[in-house]
Amino acid sequence: MDLIKHSFRLAAATFAVSALVFSTFNANAAADGPPVQGGSLIWGVETEPATLNPHLNGQDKTKLLLRNVFETLLARTKDGGYLPWLATGYKISDDGKTYTFTLRDDVTFSNGEKLDAAAVVTNFTKLKDPAYSGSASSGPVSRLADAKALDERTVELSLKEVYAPFLDFASGLEIISPASFASPQIKSGGTEITGTGPFILDRYAKGQEIHFVKNPKYQWAPSTAAHRGPAYLDEVTYRFLSESSVRAGALTSGQVNLIEGVSGNDAGLFRDDPEYSYQSALNTGTPYSLFLNTTFGPTQDVKVRKALIAAIDVDAVLKSVYRGERTRAWGITSPVDTQLYDASIEKSYGNDPQLSNQLLDQAGWTARDADGYRTRDGQRLTIEVVQAQATVRDQRDVLLQALQAQAKQKAGIDLTISYVDAGTYTDRRATGKFGSIANSNTPTDGIDIEYHYLPIKQGGSINYSRASAPELLGWLRAAASTLDQKKRFDLYARLQRFAIIDQAYAFPLYEPEDQIAASSQVQGVSFRPFKQLPESAYDVWLSK
Amino acid sequence: MTLDNPAFIDELPLGSPSRIVRFRHSLWSRVLGRVGSGVVVLWAAVTLSFASLQIAPGNIVNLLVGDQLPTPEVEAAIRAEWGLDEPLIVQYLRYLWRILHGDFGRSYVLQSDVTSLILSQLWPTLKLTSAALVVAIVFAVTAAVLTAGRRWPRRLASAAELVLVSTPSFWLGIVLLFVFSFTLKLFPVAGDKNFSSLVLPALSLGLSLGAVVSQVLRQGLENALEEPFALTVRSWGCSDLTLRLRHCLRHASLPAVTLTGWLVGGLLSGAVITEQVFGRPGLGKVTVDAVLGKDLPVVLAVAIFSALIYVVLSTLVDLLYLFLDPRLRTRNR
Repeated sequence: MDLIKHSFRLAAATFAVSALVFSTFNANAAADGPPVQGGSLIWGVETEPATLNPHLNGQDKTKLLLRNVFETLLARTKDGGYLPWLATGYKISDDGKTYTFTLRDDVTFSNGEKLDAAAVVTNFTKLKDPAYSGSASSGPVSRLADAKALDERTVELSLKEVYAPFLDFASGLEIISPASFASPQIKSGGTEITGTGPFILDRYAKGQEIHFVKNPKYQWAPSTAAHRGPAYLDEVTYRFLSESSVRAGALTSGQVNLIEGVSGNDAGLFRDDPEYSYQSALNTGTPYSLFLNTTFGPTQDVKVRKALIAAIDVDAVLKSVYRGERTRAWGITSPVDTQLYDASIEKSYGNDPQLSNQLLDQAGWTARDADGYRTRDGQRLTIEVVQAQATVRDQRDVLLQALQAQAKQKAGIDLTISYVDAGTYTDRRATGKFGSIANSNTPTDGIDIEYHYLPIKQGGSINYSRASAPELLGWLRAAASTLDQKKRFDLYARLQRFAIIDQAYAFPLYEPEDQIAASSQVQGVSFRPFKQLPESAYDVWLSK
Repeated sequence: MTLDNPAFIDELPLGSPSRIVRFRHSLWSRVLGRVGSGVVVLWAAVTLSFASLQIAPGNIVNLLVGDQLPTPEVEAAIRAEWGLDEPLIVQYLRYLWRILHGDFGRSYVLQSDVTSLILSQLWPTLKLTSAALVVAIVFAVTAAVLTAGRRWPRRLASAAELVLVSTPSFWLGIVLLFVFSFTLKLFPVAGDKNFSSLVLPALSLGLSLGAVVSQVLRQGLENALEEPFALTVRSWGCSDLTLRLRHCLRHASLPAVTLTGWLVGGLLSGAVITEQVFGRPGLGKVTVDAVLGKDLPVVLAVAIFSALIYVVLSTLVDLLYLFLDPRLRTRNR
C-alpha cells in the first residue's frame, strides 16, 4: 500500500511539472485542460491472457492490453470502414481475389527491426502453418492462397476465391516482428515477442499483473487516435482482479485508476458519482443466445423451439437480472455492425405465452405432470441447456435461472441447466446430445454468422443449433462471395428472418458489452471504433 | 496420509536409559521410511492423475481445436506437437522418464514451460498457506489458553469460532477487503508484493482453520486442567497462565497437531478461492484452470508438487509428535 501511495504521489508531482510545461504548447485543449505527459496508470482487468501472442490468443477480454504492443495494417471507423495505419492504403483487384497493401516506410518494431513487406508476409505465412497457429490456421487465413512481397513496401495477398470478410481479417491481423518467430517464447508470448505499438511489454507476473512502458519512438498512430507521437503515460500496469466486486472496491479505494468489467449492480454507483466516469459499449458479433438443437430431443420440433421463444418475456428478465444495464438482443448479429444488421427484426416476436401454449398443444405436449410441466407420452418436456463452466460470466447463471423460472411458469417447459467442464462440453458438442447451448461470439463482418449458421462440416464450427437447411449454405456462400455491401445486407437479413422467426434456431437474449469505470483523474479512455473493445492506453492521460 | 494414532501412547513403556539414542534411531528410520513411502505416493499421484485425466470426458485434440474448424491438418499438427499420436502407455512412460529428468513439459493452454510456471506460482501459495497456518495456530492457542475452563469467555469464544468455521472463506475475504482495504485503506487489495499484501488473505484463509483447531485444543486443555498433575503444579504456586502454557498445552496439543496436519491439506485447496478474491498469484487458480481446460502437463505437475507438500507435511507432523511427547520416542520400531 505504501508503495502504491508513493507512486501516486510521485506521479502527481510529475503531472504538476509537465502540466506547467505543456499548457503553453498545447493549443487543442480539451474541456479538462491539456493532456498531461507522463505518469503511470494501474488498470484493473478481469481476464488474464492465456498467451501473450496475439495470433494465438483468442480471448477478446485481453485484447485491450495486447493492443498496446501489437498493431494492424488498417484501423476501422465507427461504421465499419477502413483507415490507414501500418498500411497507407489497400487495393482489391477487380475479380475480388487479390488484396494489395502499401506499407508506411517509417515504422520500426520495438526490437529495432523495420516493418517491411517481408515482415508482413512472414506473419501471414506463419499463421497459415498449423504447427505454429494450431486451430487458428483453419480460420479466415485458410482462404489465403499466397502472400508475397512485391517490393519493400507492397504486400500482395491472393485468395483461392472471393471471400468478403477477408479484408476484416487481413487488416486486423496483429503484426509481430519477424525475429520473434525464432524466439522460444513465440507461443506463450513474452518480452522477446515484439510489435510496433506505443508501449513495450516490460514484465509479466503471472496471476498478478502485466507491466508496459512507453515506446518513445512511436510516431504512427492511426487517425482514429486522439493524438500523435508517443503515448502520454510513461507506464501502464494491468492488474488481474477476477472478482467484479473486488475490482469495484479497488477503484473506489484508489488502488487502481480504472477498471473494466463492471457488474450491473455497480454500474450506477460509478455513473452517478462525479468522482468517476463510466462508459459501456455493446460487443460485436452474435449476441448471447440459446441455440436450440434441431437434431436432438424435443427441440427437433420447430413448434417447440418457437414455443420456448414465445413463452419468455426477455425484457422483464433482463430488467430483473441486470437492473436494466443490459441491452436486449433480437437478431443473429450485433446492431453495432450496421452494414449487416437488419433492425426490422426488433420487437417482431416473443413474449406471447398464449401462442407458446397453443404451439405446444399442437405439438402434442398436452398433458401435465405433478410438477406442472408439460408431458407427451409420459415424457416430460425437458430442454437441457449446456453451459461451459469456464464461460459463465456476467451473471449468466442468474439469467439462465430466470429463463428457467419463466419457461416453467408461462409454458410448462422444463429448462434444465447443466454447467460442465471443458472436456464434457467438447464431448457434448461433438455428439450433439444436448437440448441447447448458450453462446455468443465477437467476430465482425459476417464471420460470426458463418461460424454459427454454416453446416457443421462446412465451417460452422459453433453451429449449436446443428441446422443444415440448404438455404443457410446458399445465402452464406452468396454473401461471402460478393463485395457488394447492399447485396450482403439483404442476404443476411433474409437469413436472420429465416433463422430466428421461421425456424427458431436461436433465441437471442442480450448483447454482451464491455464497461469501463475510471476515477475522474483518468482522461482519454475510449472503446475501439467498430470493434468496440476497450482501446489501448495510448490516448490515456492522468489529469492533476 | 498415515498419521500415528496417539491413542496408543498409553501402552508404551515409559522412560528408558537410552532415550536419546533411541530417539535418534527412531528419527532416522522414520525419515528414511518416509522418503521411501513419499516416492511411492508421488508415483501414485502421477499415475492416478494421468489415468483420471484420460478417463475424464473430452478428447484433448478437440479441446485444443476449441471453437475453430477441426480440419485433419490442424488435428495432425496438434497431435504431433504434443506427442498425442503415440499409444497411451508410451505417452505415460515417456512422461515418467521426462519428469525424472526434471522436465515437466509445456502447458497445452498457456503454451509455456510447466516447471517454471509451477515454480513461479508455488512460492506465493506456500507463503499464503504458511501465513494462514501461523494465523490459525496463534488464534487457536490464544483462544484456547485464555478461555479453557472459564464459563463466559468460553461461551463467547465458542460462538465466535462457530461463526468463523461456518463462514465461507470467499465471503470472509470480501468482508475483510471491504473493511480493511476499501474503507480503512490499511492493506492493498491485490498481488503478492510485500508483507502487508499477505495479511488479509492469510486471515481469510487461516481463521476458520484456527477456529476448528481452537475447539479441539480447548477441550484438550480442559481435560489436562482436570488431571492430578495440574493440582500439583498449582500447589507449587505457579500462576494459572504458566500452568496452562507450560504444562497443560503440551498435553492438549497432540490431537490438535493431528487435526492441523490433516487440515493443512485443506488450506492448499482453500487457497484457490482466496487467491481469486485477492488477485494473488498462486497454484490455486493455475490448478483450477488446468483441470477445467484438461491441461494435462500442468495438472500432473500440480499433482506431483501437492503430493510432495503432503508428504513433507505429514513427516513434519510425525516428527512433531516425537518432540511433543517423550513417551513416543522410546517406542520400538
